[in-house]
Amino acid sequence: MTESILVNIDDKEVAVPKGTLVVDAAKRVDNDIPVFCYHPKLDPVGMCRMCLVEVGTPLRDKETGEMMFEENGQPTINWMPNLQTACTMVVSDGMCIRTTTSQVTRARKDVVEFLLTSHPLDCPVCDKGGECPLQNLTMSHGSSESRFLLEEKMNIEKHVPLGDLIFLDRERCIQCARCTRFQDELVGDSVIGFDERGRSLQIITHSDPGFDSYFSGNTTDICPVGALTTTDFRFGARPWELAHTPSVCPHCPVGCNLHINTRRSGQDGNWSIKRVMPRQNEQVNEIWICDKGRFGHHFVNNSDRLTAPMVRRHGELVETSWDVALGLVSEKLQSSNGSIAGIAGERLSNEDLFAFRNLIQVNEGSVSQWPGLLGGGDLVQKVGVGVDTDLAKLGSDTAILVIASDLSEEAPLWWFKVRQAATKLGASLDKSRAALIVANARETKLDKIAKYCVRYNYGDEVRTILALSHAVSDGNTGIMGSIAANDNDDVIAAAKAISAAKNLIIIYGGEGQSYAASNALAQACSNLLIAKGNVGKKDNGLIPVWTHCNTQGAWDMGVKPAGVSATEFVADADVILLAGADPVGDGEPLPENSFVVVSELFKTKTAISADVVLPAQAFVEREGSYTTGDRRVQRFYPALPCSENVLPDWEIFQRIANEMGVGDVSAGPAAVMRQISLQVPQYRDISYENLAAVEEQWPDIGGEDSYYGGTGFQNTGGLGVQTLSLIESGFSVSPGDVDPIGLATGELLGVPVTVLYDRGSTFVKSEIMNSRISDPYIEINVGDALTHNVTDGDMVSLILNGKERELIARVSNDVPQGAVLIPRSMDGPMLRGVVPVNINTIDHGSKE
Amino acid sequence: MSSNTANQTLRTRYSAEVKDILKRYPDDQKRSAVMPLLFLSQKEGLQATVSVMSEIAQILDISITQVASIVGFYTLYYSHSGGKNRIQICTDLPCALRGADDFADKVCEKLGVKLGETTEDGEFTVESVMCLAACDKAPMFQVQNGDGITYHERQTISDVQAVIEQLGNAEIDKSPEGAE
Repeated sequence: MTESILVNIDDKEVAVPKGTLVVDAAKRVDNDIPVFCYHPKLDPVGMCRMCLVEVGTPLRDKETGEMMFEENGQPTINWMPNLQTACTMVVSDGMCIRTTTSQVTRARKDVVEFLLTSHPLDCPVCDKGGECPLQNLTMSHGSSESRFLLEEKMNIEKHVPLGDLIFLDRERCIQCARCTRFQDELVGDSVIGFDERGRSLQIITHSDPGFDSYFSGNTTDICPVGALTTTDFRFGARPWELAHTPSVCPHCPVGCNLHINTRRSGQDGNWSIKRVMPRQNEQVNEIWICDKGRFGHHFVNNSDRLTAPMVRRHGELVETSWDVALGLVSEKLQSSNGSIAGIAGERLSNEDLFAFRNLIQVNEGSVSQWPGLLGGGDLVQKVGVGVDTDLAKLGSDTAILVIASDLSEEAPLWWFKVRQAATKLGASLDKSRAALIVANARETKLDKIAKYCVRYNYGDEVRTILALSHAVSDGNTGIMGSIAANDNDDVIAAAKAISAAKNLIIIYGGEGQSYAASNALAQACSNLLIAKGNVGKKDNGLIPVWTHCNTQGAWDMGVKPAGVSATEFVADADVILLAGADPVGDGEPLPENSFVVVSELFKTKTAISADVVLPAQAFVEREGSYTTGDRRVQRFYPALPCSENVLPDWEIFQRIANEMGVGDVSAGPAAVMRQISLQVPQYRDISYENLAAVEEQWPDIGGEDSYYGGTGFQNTGGLGVQTLSLIESGFSVSPGDVDPIGLATGELLGVPVTVLYDRGSTFVKSEIMNSRISDPYIEINVGDALTHNVTDGDMVSLILNGKERELIARVSNDVPQGAVLIPRSMDGPMLRGVVPVNINTIDHGSKE
Repeated sequence: MSSNTANQTLRTRYSAEVKDILKRYPDDQKRSAVMPLLFLSQKEGLQATVSVMSEIAQILDISITQVASIVGFYTLYYSHSGGKNRIQICTDLPCALRGADDFADKVCEKLGVKLGETTEDGEFTVESVMCLAACDKAPMFQVQNGDGITYHERQTISDVQAVIEQLGNAEIDKSPEGAE
């Protein structure tokens, strides 16, 4: 790293890296210089003046340049005549800083007095009260009296909705610009800004919908006062009444660390989730989460939750006891002679998946992953990204290639971190930028920050990687020839950047992918990584953008995609066991004469038609672990009590096995993890103890000192453990054959894409987000729309998987000609790859 | 969708001017053109409406909120309607020391309005604004109207009277019934 510099803060020597700000140097020796506008993740601006300190530098002789010394041998210090802002001043060698002199104390007192001239001091009804930097710093540095006139306080709007998720209280704002800087620097969605100037400075938004950003909730965390609050938590509870539980987000493969605040109601005695906040994990989500993770937790207390086991009697599902239900299941399994098919969802925990696979395998059945849309999990195990890689910190010696992924929709925090690497905006000391190469058939949000954009036609993903690989080794795209509408210069330029970079990370997603296509794509990407030697080390390797939070865990537990629809997979099975999977709801029916057992949270279409339904616990009601796309195993904890009649999935499967006499019920999830560590080689070093281990993180945020107020929470639940890739474990891995895939042909091709705000069962039930969730729609190119007489907002019908669907058509320039984008998880039949479609208009402009 | 229905006023009515302004900035820094474009948009209507701001945002590939922040910061730009002539009196500290506050009050009195208000005939709006870079020549004001900006320095209240009459007369010629 950079060289170290010695500075003196209140007569204490401290060594800090060159480029460090005075305020951070002081924090290293637990000297909390008060701040409002300063935030260690943002570029400093020095707006609030709260951090004023005395600064001096060693005096040098003007002629000789030699240091000058006092009689006592100490260097002579040249104290600057005015106080300096510690948040903008960079340390220099031998710098002296005083933070406790009367001049400094007086300045702090005055600044607080100024900040309070128009602040309403309504702490008793303010959501921030209790974890508010303004409240805390006023108590420690402010005066109990003000020289300003009470009548001159501003009386302005206190309940301004900046969209549906965030409320603004204009009176409370102290104009620190943390929120606008976060949006500008770190997110790049400049949808909030300042209006007016001076005392009238106010936050505004003109986006439609208001404050249109996937990261809007984070501004309420970093707001040092109660000016920005979430609709979800507003007037919901006082911070000191809340219980705290570390958790992990169940919505995407990033695995953001969550901090769940719950409270027991004084009225009915029931516990409920009051808010979800980020939990600091610098390598995963730093101190941020997206709005889907923050607000998409309400499904756990939805009235559709299953509450008791049910069995089918005389055609009806009736409630029964666990003994009866499990007895029936084990009886059916025993008499099935191995004609058993098991389908397990990618959002089950590792413990659930392990117990599930054991139950099915011991009965000689076969298992598959649900929905199992993408391939390459085995390659991720082999050449997945190196342990300790931090995407945000990648620099100019690294190339990042993102292919077939709209990363901001599929994995927002990875998008956020890749953006940091490519822009190095914000507070990063190291300003060297990674070379970002984005390959996709259409423009996505990543293009704006990409150094190179490579366009291809849907279906040409593998050919694009092969052309890139050829160009990396030979300087031309070779036999692959032209790959798309664009000329090959982009490919060659991108290949040059890859050749020049020491490190290479390839992130592959699921846009327009089938299982087979994705397998081939992952193999082509792996081959490029292996050929260039970019495997088995930090800042190198393969990252899959899975469609669910624990897809990698499913691969690791031996629950792999079948590569075919659920209907085909279960075709001949007498008994079908499903857990966290709803094939019927996604348009893949199950045979009517099979015995169907479903373990689920909700009354899904599959559950309604099953023979036995077993109610399962949600992630906040139990312990477990998920494995992220970059192979980090992370542990989550029970935050809410749960009815004894609802069980965690792993226990359900172990009890069935126990009933059949083929296994024992573990003492708890920790014991299941112990079994996993014995049977799954990559997990041999993983235990609940080391998953819970934490170490000091920098910046020091969310600690007991409340230095940054409500900004995220310190990590007390564990940073998680990354499993070693096979190549890191010392195995040699060689390139594999890339299987050719047949391409769908047709005038219009339906292309499955992922959108963040989908209608998935765990998200659509969070009503607070409903205004942001679209009705089912497709997106079509302007030219194709003209040909098919479709205008923007029309209702159209198309046949998907043999079923007619009615959806809204959006007409857009960003969709390539010939493609119809069909978002996944939009109440419709699931596409397992690109399929030819026909579009018929049924109603012009019925919905706008 | 908004991208399909965006306003085209500037680009159709002032296409040559817009092109000329954009030419002054490098392609990757065209956002810098926001101020001249806003000024251009006020040429006739003297107001940066939401639809004009969204068109400028689209031309420059920035968010409408960013354009609105510029409009909000500079007293040169208006997001609200006002009189045909905007009389903008600098009342910042150096001007105030030379009696600009008092001067502003008198101008208001003359026109029968308060600061920020518009005369009943819709001719004049009086505003106090931030520094106009003529601190040594206070009291001073600028008049902003369809013809652009004119500076009036070292003003007395009778000077203002003359300016008001001159500007008002120009209109009176067009609409005789408006005369006193």
